[in-house]
Amino acid sequence: MVHALEEVQRLLKSDGYLIDIQPLIEAPLIKIYQGNRIVFIEPDPSYDYEEDLQQADVALTQVIQRGLFVIERRSEFDFLTHGSSAPELLAFWGKAGAGDHISEEDPGEQRIKEVYARVEEIRQAAGLGAEVALHERARIIRLTPNLRKEELI
Amino acid sequence: MTVRVDPENNETRALLDLVDFTGKHVLEIGCGDGRLTWRYAGRAKYVTAIDPKADAITRAKENLPEELKGRVEFHQFTFEEFFAISKPSSFDSIIFSWSF
Repeated sequence: MVHALEEVQRLLKSDGYLIDIQPLIEAPLIKIYQGNRIVFIEPDPSYDYEEDLQQADVALTQVIQRGLFVIERRSEFDFLTHGSSAPELLAFWGKAGAGDHISEEDPGEQRIKEVYARVEEIRQAAGLGAEVALHERARIIRLTPNLRKEELI
Repeated sequence: MTVRVDPENNETRALLDLVDFTGKHVLEIGCGDGRLTWRYAGRAKYVTAIDPKADAITRAKENLPEELKGRVEFHQFTFEEFFAISKPSSFDSIIFSWSF
């Protein structure tokens, strides 16, 4: 990751920006909405990338400490993915590539399926129009290169 | 399928609040199927978007809006592969999009 950020610095113009968008290091929440009302919340059982996020944060901190980048601005936002059913949401994330790390033999796979099946039961019990959403908190950072290009040559 | 990703546009708002893409050459690393790309590319001069997943890049190319053709290119690359063939100081903005 540090190497990637070094390369990003090389490819950026000296007055350019690096925009880094990452989820916060916390489990996303599965929510069931009935209209604007939240009727169910549970942490997403497929969340197992905390270590990857921590490593990414460490890499970013390292390149900032080395003076390659300066943080100019940072903010956070809510990122929601809505589905009309829990299986639909689960299938979507599988197709999108999330959960690539989960194998069929993974014991966590069974738990994920069980949780999403239970979520779907609760959603159906919540009545017509109830939908499920995965709620993530994310942060976005704008950084600028901090070294003159000639120092890199 | 009726999955809707960030229909509230929270991510897009946060992004456009930080960067004015007008006239900029943008590199997006981890573009996936282009879901974020579509939301800002109309403002940029040119967008190069990469992702290592072949199926995602295929979907991105298939779903490229007509009005963005000629201004957005998608490539299946790891960032290591892309960095190896790229010249220094090529981009005004680089987006690291959920790539960790």
